[in-house]
Amino acid sequence: MGILDGIGQGFGVALDPTNLLYVFIGVLIGTVIGVLPGLGPTATIALLLPLTYSIEPVTAVILLAGIYYGSMYGGTITSVLLQLPGEAASVVTTFDGYQMAKQGRAGPALGIAAVGSFIGGTVAVIGLTLLAPPLADLAVEFGSQEYVALTALGILLVTYLGTRHPVKSLCMAALGLFLATVGQDDITGTTRFTFGQIALFDGFDFVAVAMGLFGVGEILYNVEKTEKAQAVKTKLKNIWPSRKDFRDSSGAIARGSVMGFFIGVLPGGGGVISSLASYATEKRRAKDPTRFGKGAIEGVAGPETANNASSTSAFIPLLTLGIPANVVLALIFGALLVQGITPGPQLISQEPEIFWGVIASMYIGNLMLLALNIPLVGVFVQLLRVRSGILAAFALMVTMAGVFSVNNDSFDMWVVLIFGVIGWLMKKTGFEPGPLVLAFVLGSILETNFRRSMLLSGGEFSTFFTRPMSGTIFALMALVILISVVSGIRKRRGRSRPATPGDEDLAAAGMTAEPEGSPGAESAAPVGGAVSTAPQDGTGSAPRDGTGASGSTAHGRGEGPDRG
Amino acid sequence: MSKHLYRLAPAVMLVLGLAAMYGSYELGLGELSAPGSGLWPFLVACLLTLTAVLLLFIDDPADYEPWTRSALGIVGGLAGLAVFIVLFEIIGFVVPAMLMLLFWLRLFAKEPWRLAVPLAVGGALLFYVLFEVALAVPFPDGILFAGTGR
Repeated sequence: MGILDGIGQGFGVALDPTNLLYVFIGVLIGTVIGVLPGLGPTATIALLLPLTYSIEPVTAVILLAGIYYGSMYGGTITSVLLQLPGEAASVVTTFDGYQMAKQGRAGPALGIAAVGSFIGGTVAVIGLTLLAPPLADLAVEFGSQEYVALTALGILLVTYLGTRHPVKSLCMAALGLFLATVGQDDITGTTRFTFGQIALFDGFDFVAVAMGLFGVGEILYNVEKTEKAQAVKTKLKNIWPSRKDFRDSSGAIARGSVMGFFIGVLPGGGGVISSLASYATEKRRAKDPTRFGKGAIEGVAGPETANNASSTSAFIPLLTLGIPANVVLALIFGALLVQGITPGPQLISQEPEIFWGVIASMYIGNLMLLALNIPLVGVFVQLLRVRSGILAAFALMVTMAGVFSVNNDSFDMWVVLIFGVIGWLMKKTGFEPGPLVLAFVLGSILETNFRRSMLLSGGEFSTFFTRPMSGTIFALMALVILISVVSGIRKRRGRSRPATPGDEDLAAAGMTAEPEGSPGAESAAPVGGAVSTAPQDGTGSAPRDGTGASGSTAHGRGEGPDRG
Repeated sequence: MSKHLYRLAPAVMLVLGLAAMYGSYELGLGELSAPGSGLWPFLVACLLTLTAVLLLFIDDPADYEPWTRSALGIVGGLAGLAVFIVLFEIIGFVVPAMLMLLFWLRLFAKEPWRLAVPLAVGGALLFYVLFEVALAVPFPDGILFAGTGR
């Protein structure tokens, strides 16, 4: 089927009244939770997983995707008005967005962010439309060795790029992989680690694990840090940016679209990294970098465009290879598995209505977001009056009723509660639940393909390295580990100066990349403290970055797999 | 001693990893050319153990948040949630939901009674209508509303 036929079919699916309604609900929920600090897209999607049981698979993905890219829009609003990123990918927006608001230009900042997001999202959707089918064709040729390599790369990059502490994340990923082995072994039929519990024969329930770790765990963690409700006093006027604003930011939007698209495709990529990379690039390209951090409109337009583009293009690896690029996509992957659909190279040919329907819904969703955001920013801002305690109580109620509705069994409520406690404890001890859940989702794919490769090769480990594709991927993984070990050791020697300008931007933001999909509220305080120092750090480092490698290490590292 | 308390988390991981290695070994590793059902869990458990050992030495104490009074509040909130589940099994959704919401709104949002009570009652009824009536989820029979006949 050609791309045009596919798109036609996709719009047929997406314009169905039910699906249209769910796109709208998705982007609306996404915007709302993006605005509300304390509830990120990951938690929201986890909490809404039970709902997806009762609707068609395509509708479910349309809804969840809408929440994801919708939250990228919403996160901007609080970043600009309150210097409080409602969502992790919007942290960089606080640098210049909040300064613009202080200069009375909050309107144009939000306006250009909405326009940039729309353009970025649309460019990414077009890229997705064009790139996904050939990639899926290529993936049909993949053997189990390639799947092992790709899956392992995905887990590795998520642990390295998305978190503060790689070894801890790797530990959690290992735990996730281990938890995935609980239950019946698909190949031999042996039950593993069930301790005779019949409830565990099918393994841990993904929905319960995800809802507990992300949903309840995150709610508990955030409610512990009780915050006062924020009142926005900024008057919003002239939201539509001026002609000069457009001229100033057009380059940033164009670069942000392309950069965001490519970063999103990579495993471990996503909104957070792409927005950081875009900010670093814009600052480096600027004729007068000192303007950054003092309300440069490019510093808002670029990152906001990039995070939207990447949250869309992150669907490419999921829909074509069956590999979720980040934790949010892992949840969507899980939702599809629950519906009995395994995303992968066969998805386009076997379930074209899902593949093309979701893509088409993104065109529509981005249009809806633009229409929602420009006139309704003032309404969304009012949401900030909702106190996080109220939000937590109601979100928990939805969780409990929702998880009960899956099997009509109150046992599941206990499972969620227990995993919620574990998730909260993990957050408190600095262990990220993200890698655990991602590894948990990918665990059985990894194991099956690993064992198949072993059987096919007669037990030769070298099979992973001699095949060109998987060999390249493993070489890249070795490189990633090497680089991070070396830089880790150098850091431990007490050097306070991070190695690259990208890292400095991250350090200045008080975070080494917040995990994808987390709410930004917790990082609000360090941002507030560091925002004045950020630009100076960045400019100081600009001359050192003479290699032309764009932006941050995260970006440079991440680009590898695409070339290879 | 308390200075090293934070090493408890990696230690727990280490014990878990070793137990997992032993359990996988018991399942039978098989040969590399014919992997048994224990081989993969064994490899994964090795990774878990290895990272846990590393963390015992290199973990950053700053990662661990102090246990404060608000953490105690969370424990209280969790207990409330557990009570909710127990009551839910016995007397249905509406009344426990009201109590749970009220408890959480008072405990965490510190809402005054005049706001907390209407919010809790309204919220519980709203969720009841949403889940039981609109989505047809068969909640256990309640004392306030009888089950809807399923």
